[in-house]
Amino acid sequence: MSAQPAVLLEPTILDHGENRFPLDLGVRIPRIRNLFHSATKNQWDPKTDIDWHLLDLSKYTDEQLMSAREYWSRRAWAEYGAISESPALQIRFCQERLEPDLQLFFAIRSQEEARHAEACYLMAEHLGGFVEQPFVVDYQASVATHGIRRMALDPNFSLEAIIVALVCGAEEIAFDVFRHLTEITTDPVALQVVKAVMRDEVRHCAFGWYFMAHRIKSLTPDEIKVIENALIIMIEKVEMNGYHSAWLAPDNPASNAEVNADRLTWEAGLGATVEELEKPVFVATVQRIRRQVEPWGVVLPVFEHAKIGAF
Amino acid sequence: MAATSQDAAPQPTPILIEKRFPLELSQTIMTIRDLYDASKQARWDPNADIPWSDLDVSGLSAEVRRAAALTWSRRSWVEYTGLPETPALLIRFCLEIRREADPKYFLAVRNTEEAWHVEVCHSIAEAFGGYVDAPSNDSYAALFNQAYSKQALGADTFLDGYVAAHCALEDGLELELWRGYLDNATDPVVKRALQLCVEDKERHAAFGWFYVEKRAAQWSESDRATVAGALARHLGEVEFKGYHCAWMAPDNAAAEIVAAEKITTAAGLGALTPEAEATIVTNYLTLARIKFAALGVDMPDVPVPAA
Repeated sequence: MSAQPAVLLEPTILDHGENRFPLDLGVRIPRIRNLFHSATKNQWDPKTDIDWHLLDLSKYTDEQLMSAREYWSRRAWAEYGAISESPALQIRFCQERLEPDLQLFFAIRSQEEARHAEACYLMAEHLGGFVEQPFVVDYQASVATHGIRRMALDPNFSLEAIIVALVCGAEEIAFDVFRHLTEITTDPVALQVVKAVMRDEVRHCAFGWYFMAHRIKSLTPDEIKVIENALIIMIEKVEMNGYHSAWLAPDNPASNAEVNADRLTWEAGLGATVEELEKPVFVATVQRIRRQVEPWGVVLPVFEHAKIGAF
Repeated sequence: MAATSQDAAPQPTPILIEKRFPLELSQTIMTIRDLYDASKQARWDPNADIPWSDLDVSGLSAEVRRAAALTWSRRSWVEYTGLPETPALLIRFCLEIRREADPKYFLAVRNTEEAWHVEVCHSIAEAFGGYVDAPSNDSYAALFNQAYSKQALGADTFLDGYVAAHCALEDGLELELWRGYLDNATDPVVKRALQLCVEDKERHAAFGWFYVEKRAAQWSESDRATVAGALARHLGEVEFKGYHCAWMAPDNAAAEIVAAEKITTAAGLGALTPEAEATIVTNYLTLARIKFAALGVDMPDVPVPAA
C-alpha cells in the first residue's frame, strides 16, 4: 500500500473563494505593462536558438564533463524552483485583484523560468546527462526551496515583502552572477545560454523595482519593517546558505563536492564560477541592494559569513 | 461588531507538500512535449501581429459598437480564467510526486498565450467603444467565481479528473466555439485576432486530451467514476449555466449579452447566434462522449439547454 502524500493544512488566500468582478484589465503600471510587451517581443527557444552543435565535448576531460553536468543540473534545479513556486505569486495577484499589469507580466515570466530550466537541462544533457538529484542528500536542503510558494499563498504574509525578498534580493543576486558568467565563460554554447538567460533576468529584476516604486509610498513604517525582515532572511538564510552558490553553503562533504564541481567547470570555461571570483560579485550586489532599499527606510545590517567575513 | 458564525474562518485548502527530488525533467509524453515546442515556435505578438490601425469602427452604428464592446468584454472575462487557473495547475503538477515534466513546461507557455488572449479581447472591446468590467446581472457574475485555482491546487481534487473536465472537455469546447466565431467573422482585424487565438487554443485542447489519454490506462474504476463526476459537474454547474454560451444562463440572467452577441454576429465581428452555438455544443459533446468512452469513462449525458 502506498503512503498517503503529505498535506499542508494552513489558511491560504484560496480559502475564501473567488470574487472576479469588477475585472480591471487596463494599464495601471505602464512600466510593468511595457515589460510584458518587451518579454513578448523577445521570446526565444532553448531548443532552436542555441547552437548546440557547437558544443565540442572532445575539448574537455571526463572529469570536467562530469562536473559540468552536475553544475548545469544544479542550475536547472534552481530554475525549476521558479516554475514550482513563483507562479503562486500570480495566483496572489489575481486573488487580490491587483493591477492587471502584474498578472500579465507574471504569466510570461513563468514561461521564461521554464525555458531557463529547459536550457540548463539541455546543457546538462548535452554534456552527458542531467542529474536528477544532489549526489549527497545533505545538499538538498540548500537547493530544495526558497519558500516563496508558501509565503505567496499565506494571506498574512506581506506581498511587498515577498517581492522585495525574491526579486530585489534573490533575483538581483542571480542576475549579477549571470552577468559575471558572461564575462568568464569561454565555451561558446555555455556562453550563449548564460547570455540568453541574462537577457530575461533583466526584466525580472526590473519588475521588482518598478513594483516597489509603485507601492512604497502607501506602506506604513511597520509594513516597511516586515519588508526589511524578509529581505534579510532571503539574503542570510537562503542565499548565504548556498541556494544559488554552493560555496556559500555550510561547510560539509556535500557542499564541498558541489564546490569542487564548480571549480572544474569554471576551469573548463563551461559556465560556472568559483568562490574567489564570485565573492566580490556577491558582496557588491548585496551592498548595492542595501543602497537601493535604503531610501525606502529598509536598513540591511552588516552580514557575516564564514567565507566572506563582515560585509 | 461581534463575530457571527458566518464570519468563521473557512476550511483551509489542503495543499500537497512538495518532494522535489529526484527531479525528472526528461521527455516522457512526446505528444505534449511536441505541443510545448510548437508553442515556442508559434510565438506571436498581439501588438505587432494584429493590424490594429486597420480596425475602422467609424462606419458602425453606436448600437453595433456597444454590442461588440460587450461581446468582447465578456470574452475577456472568460479568457481571464486562465490567468489564475494555469499557475495553480502548474504548481499542482509540481507538487504531485513524480508527475511528468512535459505538462509543466506546456502549462508555463499556455499561461503566456492566455495573457495575450486577455489583452487581445480587452483591446478589441476598447476599440469598439469601451471595455465593460462586469456583468450587469449579479447572479450571472457569480457564475464566473469558479475558484479554479482552489480546485486545481486542492489536494482533495483528483488531478486527472480536473484535467479531464477543464483541459480536455472545456478547452475542447472553447476551441470549437472560437472556430465558430472565426468562421463567422468578416472584419479582417477581428478575424486575424481570432485566428491567432484559435491556433493557440488548438494546442490547449490537444494538451488536455493527450494527457487524459496518457493517464487513463492507470485509472481505477473509482478514478473513472471521479472523472465522470467532474465532467458532469462542469457541464451542469458551469457550461449549462451560461459560462461560454450566455444564452444558457437561467432566468435570462445574461439577456443583455445574448442580445449584444446577436448584433455582433450580424455585423461579422466575431460571434455566433445561440442556434449556431447550440449545434456546436451538441456536436462537440457527442464527440467528447465517444472519446471518453474509449478511455473507459462514461461521460454523463447531461441534456444541452434549448437555444
